[in-house]
Amino acid sequence: MSYKCSRCKRDVELDEYGGVRCPYCGHRVLLKERAPTVKEVPVE
Amino acid sequence: MAEDFEVEFIEREDRKARFLVRGMTPAVANGIRRAMVADVPTFSVDTVRFVENSSVMFDEMIGLRLGLVPLTTPLDDFEEGDVVTLALDVEGPATAYSGDIESSDELVQPAELNVPIIELKEGQRLQLEADAVLGSGKAHAKHQGGVAVGYRHLHRVEVVGDANEFEEQEPNILRGVIEEAAAEHAADESAEDGALVPTSEFDNDLTKRYPGKDVEVHDVPGAFVFHVETDGSFTVEELVRRAVESISDRAAELEEKVAI
Repeated sequence: MSYKCSRCKRDVELDEYGGVRCPYCGHRVLLKERAPTVKEVPVE
Repeated sequence: MAEDFEVEFIEREDRKARFLVRGMTPAVANGIRRAMVADVPTFSVDTVRFVENSSVMFDEMIGLRLGLVPLTTPLDDFEEGDVVTLALDVEGPATAYSGDIESSDELVQPAELNVPIIELKEGQRLQLEADAVLGSGKAHAKHQGGVAVGYRHLHRVEVVGDANEFEEQEPNILRGVIEEAAAEHAADESAEDGALVPTSEFDNDLTKRYPGKDVEVHDVPGAFVFHVETDGSFTVEELVRRAVESISDRAAELEEKVAI
Protein backbone atom coordinates (compact mmCIF):
# COMPACT_ATOMS: atom_id res chain seq x y z
CA MET A 1 0.00 0.00 0.00
CA SER A 2 1.35 3.43 -0.86
CA TYR A 3 0.72 6.30 1.50
CA LYS A 4 1.96 9.84 1.88
CA CYS A 5 3.23 11.28 5.13
CA SER A 6 1.13 14.30 6.06
CA ARG A 7 4.14 16.12 7.61
CA CYS A 8 7.11 15.51 5.31
CA LYS A 9 4.95 14.76 2.21
CA ARG A 10 7.16 11.81 1.26
CA ASP A 11 5.83 8.54 -0.16
CA VAL A 12 5.72 5.80 2.45
CA GLU A 13 5.42 2.06 1.96
CA LEU A 14 3.78 0.41 4.96
CA ASP A 15 4.70 -3.13 5.90
CA GLU A 16 2.61 -5.36 8.10
CA TYR A 17 4.78 -5.29 11.21
CA GLY A 18 6.31 -1.85 11.15
CA GLY A 19 3.25 -0.14 12.61
CA VAL A 20 1.73 3.06 11.26
CA ARG A 21 4.65 5.46 11.27
CA CYS A 22 6.65 7.40 8.69
CA PRO A 23 10.16 5.91 8.48
CA TYR A 24 11.66 9.30 7.59
CA CYS A 25 10.21 11.64 10.18
CA GLY A 26 8.33 9.37 12.56
CA HIS A 27 5.01 11.11 11.99
CA ARG A 28 2.00 8.90 12.66
CA VAL A 29 -0.47 10.53 10.27
CA LEU A 30 -0.33 9.00 6.80
CA LEU A 31 -2.63 9.80 3.88
CA LYS A 32 -3.71 7.21 1.36
CA GLU A 33 -3.08 8.28 -2.21
CA ARG A 34 -5.49 7.73 -5.07
CA ALA A 35 -4.46 4.70 -7.11
CA PRO A 36 -2.88 5.73 -10.47
CA THR A 37 -5.05 3.25 -12.39
CA VAL A 38 -8.04 4.10 -14.55
CA LYS A 39 -11.25 3.69 -12.57
CA GLU A 40 -14.42 2.66 -14.33
CA VAL A 41 -17.67 3.94 -12.84
CA PRO A 42 -21.19 3.00 -13.97
CA VAL A 43 -23.61 5.92 -14.16
CA GLU A 44 -26.88 5.13 -12.40
CA MET B 1 -58.94 4.08 -35.03
CA ALA B 2 -59.48 4.28 -38.71
CA GLU B 3 -60.12 8.03 -38.89
CA ASP B 4 -57.25 10.49 -38.90
CA PHE B 5 -56.47 12.90 -36.14
CA GLU B 6 -56.68 16.58 -36.83
CA VAL B 7 -53.57 18.42 -35.65
CA GLU B 8 -53.20 22.17 -35.30
CA PHE B 9 -50.15 23.97 -33.93
CA ILE B 10 -50.58 26.81 -31.45
CA GLU B 11 -46.91 27.35 -30.71
CA ARG B 12 -44.07 25.74 -32.57
CA GLU B 13 -40.35 25.92 -31.92
CA ASP B 14 -37.58 23.37 -32.29
CA ARG B 15 -37.52 22.32 -28.67
CA LYS B 16 -40.91 23.44 -27.50
CA ALA B 17 -44.37 23.19 -29.00
CA ARG B 18 -48.03 23.33 -28.20
CA PHE B 19 -50.52 21.66 -30.49
CA LEU B 20 -54.14 20.66 -30.57
CA VAL B 21 -55.23 17.18 -31.57
CA ARG B 22 -58.88 16.43 -32.30
CA GLY B 23 -60.62 13.09 -32.54
CA MET B 24 -58.62 11.37 -29.82
CA THR B 25 -59.58 9.41 -26.72
CA PRO B 26 -57.92 10.13 -23.35
CA ALA B 27 -56.33 6.67 -23.49
CA VAL B 28 -54.54 7.42 -26.75
CA ALA B 29 -53.52 10.89 -25.56
CA ASN B 30 -51.98 9.45 -22.42
CA GLY B 31 -50.38 6.65 -24.42
CA ILE B 32 -48.62 9.19 -26.61
CA ARG B 33 -47.52 11.21 -23.60
CA ARG B 34 -46.07 8.11 -21.95
CA ALA B 35 -44.35 7.03 -25.15
CA MET B 36 -42.75 10.48 -25.45
CA VAL B 37 -41.36 10.18 -21.94
CA ALA B 38 -40.33 6.54 -21.80
CA ASP B 39 -40.12 5.01 -25.26
CA VAL B 40 -38.13 7.39 -27.44
CA PRO B 41 -34.45 6.61 -26.81
CA THR B 42 -31.71 9.20 -26.38
CA PHE B 43 -27.97 9.05 -25.94
CA SER B 44 -26.72 9.40 -22.40
CA VAL B 45 -23.43 8.69 -20.63
CA ASP B 46 -23.54 5.18 -19.18
CA THR B 47 -20.00 4.34 -18.08
CA VAL B 48 -17.17 6.68 -17.20
CA ARG B 49 -13.48 5.77 -17.04
CA PHE B 50 -11.63 8.23 -14.83
CA VAL B 51 -7.98 8.70 -15.70
CA GLU B 52 -7.53 11.52 -13.26
CA ASN B 53 -9.89 13.19 -10.87
CA SER B 54 -8.22 15.48 -8.38
CA SER B 55 -11.34 17.60 -8.07
CA VAL B 56 -13.26 17.93 -4.82
CA MET B 57 -15.99 15.54 -5.93
CA PHE B 58 -16.17 11.76 -6.00
CA ASP B 59 -15.98 9.97 -9.36
CA GLU B 60 -19.52 8.67 -8.93
CA MET B 61 -20.98 12.15 -8.46
CA ILE B 62 -19.24 13.49 -11.54
CA GLY B 63 -20.45 10.42 -13.43
CA LEU B 64 -24.00 11.21 -12.38
CA ARG B 65 -23.67 14.78 -13.63
CA LEU B 66 -22.25 13.60 -16.95
CA GLY B 67 -25.20 11.24 -17.33
CA LEU B 68 -27.61 14.18 -17.19
CA VAL B 69 -25.94 16.14 -19.99
CA PRO B 70 -28.28 15.96 -23.01
CA LEU B 71 -26.61 14.66 -26.16
CA THR B 72 -27.91 15.16 -29.68
CA THR B 73 -29.42 11.94 -30.97
CA PRO B 74 -30.04 11.45 -34.70
CA LEU B 75 -32.31 8.43 -34.40
CA ASP B 76 -32.08 7.52 -38.09
CA ASP B 77 -28.39 6.74 -37.78
CA PHE B 78 -28.32 4.74 -34.57
CA GLU B 79 -30.03 1.77 -32.95
CA GLU B 80 -30.79 1.19 -29.33
CA GLY B 81 -27.69 -0.08 -27.55
CA ASP B 82 -25.20 1.75 -29.81
CA VAL B 83 -22.21 3.26 -28.04
CA VAL B 84 -20.37 6.53 -28.72
CA THR B 85 -17.21 7.43 -26.85
CA LEU B 86 -16.75 10.87 -25.32
CA ALA B 87 -13.72 12.42 -23.69
CA LEU B 88 -13.17 15.30 -21.29
CA ASP B 89 -9.91 16.82 -20.10
CA VAL B 90 -9.94 20.05 -18.13
CA GLU B 91 -7.22 21.46 -15.93
CA GLY B 92 -7.88 23.99 -13.20
CA PRO B 93 -8.30 26.80 -12.50
CA ALA B 94 -11.34 26.50 -14.78
CA THR B 95 -14.87 25.23 -14.88
CA ALA B 96 -15.51 22.07 -16.86
CA TYR B 97 -18.52 22.66 -19.09
CA SER B 98 -20.46 20.24 -21.26
CA GLY B 99 -18.97 22.14 -24.22
CA ASP B 100 -15.53 20.80 -23.26
CA ILE B 101 -16.70 17.26 -23.99
CA GLU B 102 -15.23 15.87 -27.17
CA SER B 103 -17.12 13.22 -29.06
CA SER B 104 -15.85 10.46 -31.31
CA ASP B 105 -18.93 10.92 -33.50
CA GLU B 106 -19.83 14.32 -34.87
CA LEU B 107 -23.53 13.41 -34.89
CA VAL B 108 -23.56 12.91 -31.13
CA GLN B 109 -22.58 16.13 -29.37
CA PRO B 110 -23.68 17.89 -26.19
CA ALA B 111 -26.98 19.61 -26.97
CA GLU B 112 -26.08 22.52 -24.68
CA LEU B 113 -22.53 23.78 -24.42
CA ASN B 114 -22.89 25.67 -21.17
CA VAL B 115 -23.90 23.00 -18.66
CA PRO B 116 -21.39 23.28 -15.80
CA ILE B 117 -19.98 19.94 -14.68
CA ILE B 118 -17.54 20.98 -11.98
CA GLU B 119 -15.44 23.94 -10.94
CA LEU B 120 -11.74 23.12 -10.72
CA LYS B 121 -9.24 25.05 -8.60
CA GLU B 122 -5.50 25.52 -9.17
CA GLY B 123 -3.76 22.17 -9.60
CA GLN B 124 -6.95 20.13 -9.96
CA ARG B 125 -7.60 18.14 -13.06
CA LEU B 126 -10.44 16.11 -14.51
CA GLN B 127 -9.56 13.67 -17.25
CA LEU B 128 -11.96 10.99 -18.32
CA GLU B 129 -13.39 8.91 -21.09
CA ALA B 130 -17.09 8.09 -21.18
CA ASP B 131 -19.35 5.75 -23.11
CA ALA B 132 -22.70 7.18 -24.17
CA VAL B 133 -25.33 4.53 -24.84
CA LEU B 134 -28.60 4.89 -26.74
CA GLY B 135 -31.22 3.78 -24.23
CA SER B 136 -34.88 4.50 -23.46
CA GLY B 137 -36.47 6.41 -20.58
CA LYS B 138 -37.87 3.14 -19.28
CA ALA B 139 -34.40 2.13 -18.13
CA HIS B 140 -33.30 5.43 -16.61
CA ALA B 141 -34.64 9.00 -16.50
CA LYS B 142 -31.38 10.28 -18.03
CA HIS B 143 -32.53 8.72 -21.32
CA GLN B 144 -35.79 10.71 -21.40
CA GLY B 145 -35.92 12.86 -24.52
CA GLY B 146 -39.23 14.51 -23.66
CA VAL B 147 -39.28 16.74 -20.63
CA ALA B 148 -42.32 18.67 -19.41
CA VAL B 149 -44.66 16.65 -21.60
CA GLY B 150 -48.34 16.96 -20.83
CA TYR B 151 -51.80 17.58 -22.21
CA ARG B 152 -55.04 19.26 -21.24
CA HIS B 153 -58.53 19.24 -22.62
CA LEU B 154 -59.34 22.06 -24.99
CA HIS B 155 -61.71 24.43 -23.17
CA ARG B 156 -64.72 25.99 -24.81
CA VAL B 157 -65.77 29.18 -23.07
CA GLU B 158 -69.33 30.39 -23.51
CA VAL B 159 -70.86 33.58 -22.21
CA VAL B 160 -74.17 32.74 -20.50
CA GLY B 161 -75.19 36.15 -19.20
CA ASP B 162 -74.14 39.33 -17.47
CA ALA B 163 -72.40 39.31 -14.12
CA ASN B 164 -74.02 41.12 -11.20
CA GLU B 165 -72.84 44.67 -11.79
CA PHE B 166 -72.96 45.64 -8.08
CA GLU B 167 -70.64 42.84 -7.09
CA GLU B 168 -66.92 42.87 -7.64
CA GLN B 169 -65.91 40.08 -9.98
CA GLU B 170 -63.71 37.37 -8.53
CA PRO B 171 -60.86 36.23 -10.80
CA ASN B 172 -61.84 33.15 -12.80
CA ILE B 173 -58.57 31.35 -13.36
CA LEU B 174 -58.23 28.90 -16.24
CA ARG B 175 -55.06 27.41 -17.68
CA GLY B 176 -54.49 25.88 -21.07
CA VAL B 177 -55.98 26.89 -24.38
CA ILE B 178 -59.52 28.06 -25.04
CA GLU B 179 -61.60 27.76 -28.14
CA GLU B 180 -63.29 31.10 -28.67
CA ALA B 181 -67.08 30.76 -28.67
CA ALA B 182 -68.14 34.27 -27.65
CA ALA B 183 -65.98 36.58 -29.70
CA GLU B 184 -68.51 39.42 -29.53
CA HIS B 185 -68.07 39.62 -25.75
CA ALA B 186 -64.27 39.38 -25.71
CA ALA B 187 -62.20 42.35 -24.58
CA ASP B 188 -59.84 41.65 -27.46
CA GLU B 189 -61.40 43.26 -30.55
CA SER B 190 -59.69 40.97 -33.03
CA ALA B 191 -61.24 37.86 -31.46
CA GLU B 192 -62.91 35.45 -33.83
CA ASP B 193 -65.17 32.52 -33.08
CA GLY B 194 -63.33 29.22 -33.26
CA ALA B 195 -59.90 30.78 -32.71
CA LEU B 196 -57.51 29.03 -30.33
CA VAL B 197 -56.27 31.35 -27.61
CA PRO B 198 -53.71 30.36 -24.96
CA THR B 199 -54.96 31.53 -21.57
CA SER B 200 -51.62 33.22 -20.92
CA GLU B 201 -52.75 35.92 -23.35
CA PHE B 202 -55.23 37.17 -20.76
CA ASP B 203 -53.27 36.36 -17.61
CA ASN B 204 -55.17 33.04 -17.21
CA ASP B 205 -58.13 35.07 -15.96
CA LEU B 206 -61.43 34.77 -17.82
CA THR B 207 -62.81 37.93 -16.21
CA LYS B 208 -60.13 39.88 -18.07
CA ARG B 209 -61.19 38.45 -21.41
CA TYR B 210 -64.92 38.69 -20.81
CA PRO B 211 -65.30 41.61 -18.40
CA GLY B 212 -68.71 41.85 -16.75
CA LYS B 213 -69.91 38.53 -18.15
CA ASP B 214 -70.86 35.21 -16.63
CA VAL B 215 -69.08 32.39 -18.40
CA GLU B 216 -69.31 28.64 -18.54
CA VAL B 217 -66.33 26.46 -19.34
CA HIS B 218 -66.74 23.09 -21.03
CA ASP B 219 -64.17 20.56 -22.15
CA VAL B 220 -64.33 19.94 -25.87
CA PRO B 221 -64.75 16.17 -26.22
CA GLY B 222 -61.88 14.38 -27.92
CA ALA B 223 -59.74 17.52 -28.22
CA PHE B 224 -56.41 17.62 -26.41
CA VAL B 225 -53.82 20.34 -26.24
CA PHE B 226 -50.34 18.86 -25.89
CA HIS B 227 -47.46 20.81 -24.47
CA VAL B 228 -44.16 19.18 -25.37
CA GLU B 229 -40.58 20.15 -24.63
CA THR B 230 -37.46 18.18 -25.46
CA ASP B 231 -34.09 18.19 -23.72
CA GLY B 232 -32.36 19.09 -26.98
CA SER B 233 -31.64 15.53 -28.12
CA PHE B 234 -33.94 16.05 -31.11
CA THR B 235 -36.75 18.33 -32.22
CA VAL B 236 -40.28 18.15 -30.86
CA GLU B 237 -41.45 16.92 -34.26
CA GLU B 238 -39.03 14.00 -34.16
CA LEU B 239 -40.05 13.15 -30.59
CA VAL B 240 -43.77 13.10 -31.33
CA ARG B 241 -43.32 11.12 -34.55
CA ARG B 242 -41.16 8.50 -32.84
CA ALA B 243 -43.56 8.22 -29.92
CA VAL B 244 -46.53 7.66 -32.21
CA GLU B 245 -44.53 5.17 -34.28
CA SER B 246 -43.61 3.23 -31.15
CA ILE B 247 -47.26 2.98 -30.13
CA SER B 248 -48.42 1.88 -33.54
CA ASP B 249 -45.58 -0.67 -33.77
CA ARG B 250 -46.57 -2.16 -30.44
CA ALA B 251 -50.25 -2.19 -31.39
CA ALA B 252 -49.38 -4.00 -34.61
CA GLU B 253 -47.28 -6.49 -32.69
CA LEU B 254 -50.11 -7.14 -30.26
CA GLU B 255 -52.58 -7.60 -33.10
CA GLU B 256 -50.28 -10.13 -34.71
CA LYS B 257 -49.63 -12.03 -31.48
CA VAL B 258 -53.28 -12.40 -30.48
CA ALA B 259 -54.52 -13.26 -33.97
CA ILE B 260 -56.10 -16.68 -34.02
